[in-house]
Parts: sequence; C-alpha cells; structure tokens
Amino acid sequence: MMRSILTLFLVLIFLNASAQDNSVFIYGRVFDAENKTPLVGANIIYGRNQGSISDTKGNYSINLSPSLLNLTFQYVGYVSEVKHLNLNSGDTIQLNIGLIPAVNEIDQIVISANKVEQKLSDLTVSMTLIKAYSPGNNHISDPQELIAKTPGIEVLDGQASIRGGSGFSYGAGSRVMALIDGLPVIAADAGNIKWQFLPLENLSQIEIIKGASSVLYGSSALNGVINFRTAEAGIEPRTKFFVESGFFDQPSNKDWKWWDTPRVFTNASLSHLQKFGNTDLGIAATFAFDNGYRKLNDEKLGRFSLRLSHKSEKLEGLKYGLNLNSGMTQKIDFVLWENAITGALKHSESTATKLNGTFYAIDPFISFRRNKNTNHDLRMRLQATSNRFPDDEQTNSDAITYYTEYQLQHKLSHFATMNIGFSENYSEVLSNFYGDHQTLNLAGFSQFDMEVKKNVKLVAGVRLEQNIQDGNPDELVPIFRTGINYKLAGYTFLRASFGQGYRYPSIAEKFASTRLGTVKIYPNPDIQPESGWNSEIGIKQGLMIGSLNGMIDLAAFYSQNKNMIEYVFGQYYDPVSDSYDLGFQAWNSENSRVYGTEFEFQLNQSIGMFTNSFRGGYMFMYPVEYKKDDSETEFLKYRRKHSANLEWIIRLGKFDMGLNLYAKSKIMKIDKVFLGELTREDIMPGFYDYWLVNNKGYFLSDLVLGFRKSEQWKVSLAVKNLFNTEYMGRPGDVLPHRNISLRLSGIF
Amino acid sequence: MKKFIVSALIIAVFIAFSCKKDEESERFTLLTSISWFSDTLLANGVDASGPGQMLEKFKGEVIFNKDGSGTFGGYVGTWHFAYDETKVVLASDSLIMPLTTNIEELTKTSLKVTTSFPNFSDPENPTDIRMTFKPK
Repeated sequence: MMRSILTLFLVLIFLNASAQDNSVFIYGRVFDAENKTPLVGANIIYGRNQGSISDTKGNYSINLSPSLLNLTFQYVGYVSEVKHLNLNSGDTIQLNIGLIPAVNEIDQIVISANKVEQKLSDLTVSMTLIKAYSPGNNHISDPQELIAKTPGIEVLDGQASIRGGSGFSYGAGSRVMALIDGLPVIAADAGNIKWQFLPLENLSQIEIIKGASSVLYGSSALNGVINFRTAEAGIEPRTKFFVESGFFDQPSNKDWKWWDTPRVFTNASLSHLQKFGNTDLGIAATFAFDNGYRKLNDEKLGRFSLRLSHKSEKLEGLKYGLNLNSGMTQKIDFVLWENAITGALKHSESTATKLNGTFYAIDPFISFRRNKNTNHDLRMRLQATSNRFPDDEQTNSDAITYYTEYQLQHKLSHFATMNIGFSENYSEVLSNFYGDHQTLNLAGFSQFDMEVKKNVKLVAGVRLEQNIQDGNPDELVPIFRTGINYKLAGYTFLRASFGQGYRYPSIAEKFASTRLGTVKIYPNPDIQPESGWNSEIGIKQGLMIGSLNGMIDLAAFYSQNKNMIEYVFGQYYDPVSDSYDLGFQAWNSENSRVYGTEFEFQLNQSIGMFTNSFRGGYMFMYPVEYKKDDSETEFLKYRRKHSANLEWIIRLGKFDMGLNLYAKSKIMKIDKVFLGELTREDIMPGFYDYWLVNNKGYFLSDLVLGFRKSEQWKVSLAVKNLFNTEYMGRPGDVLPHRNISLRLSGIF
Repeated sequence: MKKFIVSALIIAVFIAFSCKKDEESERFTLLTSISWFSDTLLANGVDASGPGQMLEKFKGEVIFNKDGSGTFGGYVGTWHFAYDETKVVLASDSLIMPLTTNIEELTKTSLKVTTSFPNFSDPENPTDIRMTFKPK
C-alpha cells in the first residue's frame, strides 16, 4: 500500500515537473504478455543507452524532452518491443507493455516423452508442441481441428493418425492415446477419443509424441500420444474469455446449398486461474452452438473444468488436489450423404441419429517430493461416459473407468534417474449395442534415464501389461523402448529411438453389433491385439542468430505393425439372426510398414516494429502392406504420401495477422466397398464418380486478422478456407467450406 | 547401479522368452495339414463350377497355410477361423469381398462348407452355396 502511494506521489511530482519545463513524461508497466506477471528489471531504452528499468511491480517512468524517438522495451528471455513515438511538449503518456516470452524453442520444458520434466532438445523421440495461444489465435474451439492442423498428423472423422500409423476404422479404436495431464481419456466402449470434451481452456501446452509410446502409456499409444496439459495459476490472477460467432458461406458447388437461412455457429469461453496462498485454482467453462453446414449434422456442447491443488504447509514437498473435466453434448454425427449431385451436404436420413452424450473425469492426485532425489506420484481417474440415442435406444451405452497409477521417480546418481510405476485400468460397459463387458488392464513399467557420457543421454524402458476381458486373461505382454540423444554442438542434437507398441482391441471392435442405415456392423469376438514397433533418427538444430530464435527438426522414421485391426466390408455371419449378410467387421487384416521423413520448423524474429513467427512442416511417407515373404503389396488405406503446412503470424503494434496454409496429396486407397460395382451405389449414391474426379489432394488457407484495443481487449476476424476449396476426408465426409467468424477476447 | 540394470535386463529377457506360444487346435491341424481339391461346387443345388459361373474360380487345389495365407482354387489370399472355429472366412484381392462359410464337416477325408451369398438383383433370395473338398 505504502509503495503504491509512493509511486503515485512520484508520478504526481513528475507530472508537475513536466508541466513546468514542457518535458514529456512516460510511465507504465512491463509484464509477461501471456500470464500478466510483472517483469522486474526490464530495460526501457531510448537514444544511446539512455533509459530506465522497471521496479518490483514492473512499473517504470521516464522524463524526456519533446522529440521523435524509438522506445525499446527489453527483458532477458523475451522478445523486445519497440514503440515509435512522436512526443510533444507537456505530453503525459501511459505505455503498458506486455512482452512475449522468447524462450529458445529447443529449451522448452516438456513432460510427456519420459514422464519427467525435460528440455525438448534432450528427447530421444520426435515431439511437436502446440502452444497455449494457438487455439485462440486461430479461432479454434474444437481440439480435433487443432490437432488435424498439426504437421505430420491427419484426423479422419475423429480418428487420429500420426505419421500414417492409422487409417480410418469407422470410429472404433484409436492407435493414438489422448491424455489430459498425463492420464488417459480414451472411451472405454468404442476405444476412441472424445475430442469434444478435451480442454482448450486454461491450457499450458499440448505435447504430441510421434511414435510408439506404449511403454509408458500402454495400450492405444501404439502410434503416439497427445497430451493436453492444463496451466497452473501464476503469481497474479488471470481471467480470460472470448465470444465468437460466425457463419458458413455458400459452397463452391452451388447445387449443394440446401439452406435458406445462414448456417451460424457461436462459441463462448470463460476461464480463471488464481493462487490463494498455497492453493491453486483453475476453472473454465465453454459453450458451443453449431447449426452445421450439413443438414442433420448440428451440435450443442458445454464443457466445464476445475483444477484444484494445494501445497502442504506442514509437510514440505507434499502436494495434493483434484481435477475435474466434464461436458455434455447434443448432436447428430454425420455418417453418409444423400447423393453427390445435390445432397453431398445433406445427411442421409437413414443414418441420422440424435445423440445426447455426457462425459466426466474426476482426478484426485497426491504427490510427495521427499527430497531432491525422490518423487512419489499417486494419481487416479474416475471417468464416465454416457451415450443416449433418443430415437434408437438399442444403441445406448454407458461406460465407466477407474484408473489408478503410481509412479516413483528416483535419482540414483548424478547421471541416472529411475522411473518405475504401476497402473490399473478397470472399465465396465453396459450396452445393448456392445453387450455388457468388463475389461481390466494391469501394467508395470520401469524406465532409466542416464547421461552415460558428457552430452550423451540414454533412455531404456520396459512395460509388462496384461488385459483381462470378461474374466478371460490375455497373455502377459512385454514391451521395450530405448533411445539415445547426443548433443553434437551448442544447439545441435542428434537422436535415435526404438519403441514397441501394443493395442488390445476395443469393446466396439470385438462386440459392436448394429445397423446404421444401409451399413451393418458385425461383432468379431475373435479379433486379436495388434502390435508393432517404431524407430527413428533425427536431428534438431536450435537457432539463435541476432533477433532470430527458433529450431528446425529433421527426422527419418520407420514403423512396422502386424495384425493391424481394420474394418473390412464383406459377407459375414450374423449369430443373432443365424444368417449371412453384407456389412463391416473388424479384422486383423494388415501387416503394414510406413517409412518416410518429416521436417518441422519454428522461427521467431523481430525486425524493427514487426514481430514474425513461422511454424510449419512437411512430411513424406510411404505406407504399404507387406507379406510374409517381405514383399510389399498395396498402399495402406486412407493414407496420403505428402502433407505440408505453414503458419505465419505477424504483429505490428496493435495489429496482428495470421496466415495458415495446408496442402495434402490424394488418398491412395479406400475400402473396395465404396468403389465396387455391386455395392457402391447402395452405400453412397454418386460417390464413385465424385471420387474419381476429385480425389486429387487439396490446398487450404485460413486468414486471421486481429486488433488489440488495449492489453486486455482484442477483436479478431477469421476467414477459414479462404478460397472455398471443396475437399473430403473419409469417403462422403465433405469438409467445411469457407466460413467467417468474429471473436472478441479479453484477458484480465 | 550396474547390478540393478543387469537384473532388470535379465528379468525382461526371461519374461520375453517365457511367453507361452499358441497351441494348435485339432481343427486347425486338420485344415492346414491337408492339401484339398474341389469335389462339388454348388449354387442353389446346381453345379456352378463351369466357365463363367459363380464358383468357377474355386475349382482346383485348396491350401490353408498355417500362417493364415492360402490358395483357394484360382484365388490367392488369406483365411481365418471365426465363431469358435465353426466358420472359416476367406479373403482375396480377387474376390469381390471376404466370404464367410460354415464348416459343415471337417475330417481327414472331407471338407464341406456352406454359405449364403446376397443376390444383388434380388435381395430377398440369396444364393445358397455348398462346396465340398477331398484330400488331393
């Protein structure tokens, strides 16, 4: 209080002095643009080494002569900002400056790769980071859209594929594990990712591991991991919000337009982070209403999350708390179109089914850091999902999962750390659709991180896992991984890794039995687990040249899988009706290999008053089936050879602009049923002819323009799919055409 | 430290080698140990093995390899058991789609399978298929 009065007093003295001698008075505050924390000791420079520094609250003040000058705000680890000022005598100017962290990209701290905090440069595997500001900057409220726009990843109707590891399997099973703060959020019934319930509010960052990660994360991490990490409260409270509304333009094929009133969507979000003594609170809520650009494909969504943690005053190193993530949705998922001529944006009524879905995950946790060398972590998750189909109650399902994980991290010596843990994952599914089933997964894992020699880091791990379904134990499965990282020079890191993966079939793949319009799904209780391995070599080069800061990464990868589970259209036996009919069934159909290269980069640079940020990548892959004699036969289904993207953000004073470019080559193979003469018109009218002409790959661009009215308020306009490109994901899934949205956001 | 790592490696290797291997069932052994040859190929009770007929390409030698690959007359593809080894599913790139058949009889001297294939021009009246094979 005294300090504030003193500051005010000083300001008044300066004001008085400036009024008397016609000088100019500039004052304000320097702070971290992301979390509003004051920056103590920031340099405010003008002329030749003249200036001031900020105090313990980030406040500064300068008395100047009237002139035209550049005022530079500098702070170690942050991007400098220059203000060009035309000062007239007697002016009093308040300048509050939020500096953007300029952490060297390769020094960023990540946790997912080895379940310990590490620098990105020290990893033995490829990892892509999505920063907390990315969803907001790009008007993205759907986590699925955010991940789909990441280099090296394809998401086909909710099914994520990292480096071609997956195709499209009609929404059942996932070879990519989704995590919230390190705990799995795969649905127990369909084994898929419930994207709409993953949090983008109060986000710290999203870490994506590219490659087999089953040793630490178990079944479903066969192809990689996407970890949504939520933020902790900073020193100062932070409240963020946005409201956004937009509409879909006309499709480029005018015959497809079916609506008379605009198809609009609205999103709103409010989040707050605050420390109360030793207690951290994070709370967030999001609402989304989407009319849908397709007929019978609308959605209403609500998402709520709470993060509560407390550091014990009595016992140093003890921390405990509770996280909650929850959501509700009312929607109609798109399955098949009506026809290609006028009905590509109309959901076939035969497959349109209303769904009321709920989800919640409650995560109590306790951790104890006994000393600098030992850390105990006990974390639990109670996750429940409910799918209610008001018009088709036969397909209702409820699933509940109890997950517990204990992890001990112990520093054995100054060069070696041991990480051991145990986990159990018990799921119960109650459904007419799947039948009633219980699955228990028990696992133990152990991993060692060693600095075997100066600049050489080694990691080796093993996991033992057993699945017990409906009381029937599967065999005990051992999985291994190892990797090495060598610091070749100051900012140059070489890496190599090998990891095995394993995935137990989901309940949907084993037991789902239903009919979606003309499409019938058959159970396959004999389906076997799929397994594989992945290896890569890579080089990461950090860049710190003048005002340029960033990294480039080049990797060559090779993965091989056997018994891959895929849905295959065929003539199958239906045990319920004791008859044979056509439909889809999960099969262990493919032995596959995917090899290729991936290039990624992130560059930040300040030139004068411009701040530029470039991020992007290119991936080439060759995905093929192979036979026992090692001969390669055909391309894998639903894969593309080439994909590339570029994100460019430029800031100038109160204005910023983001331009995102995406390019993907054609899909090389799809299910025969969509192309076969006997079946194609019954399944999806007009698709065959459409596919022959239009499966050529695509180029997309998004443009976002922003204006910061102040440090707190921002207005932005986004035009997604700027050139109104017509493009398709999985067969029949025409993806959004041009849409325009306006967003008002604030941070306090 | 060294002892710990060595112990961990020994345990891992032991576990890897102690995993039990699948034992072959009697049906699996019977099906895979014999080279079969087509005997009768009937569609709706009528021979359909003639030129241009529905089951023409099933005519000839039929081999079920232990690794899941197989030759079914003129088709080269894969096979697997289903429903507690009461059905066998045949797949081939040359077949329009995978075919599930019911194993009516499997002995050292005879293999008889039946199925019902949808009739696209008349969905209400599928084609009943019956195929018998003898050891070659």
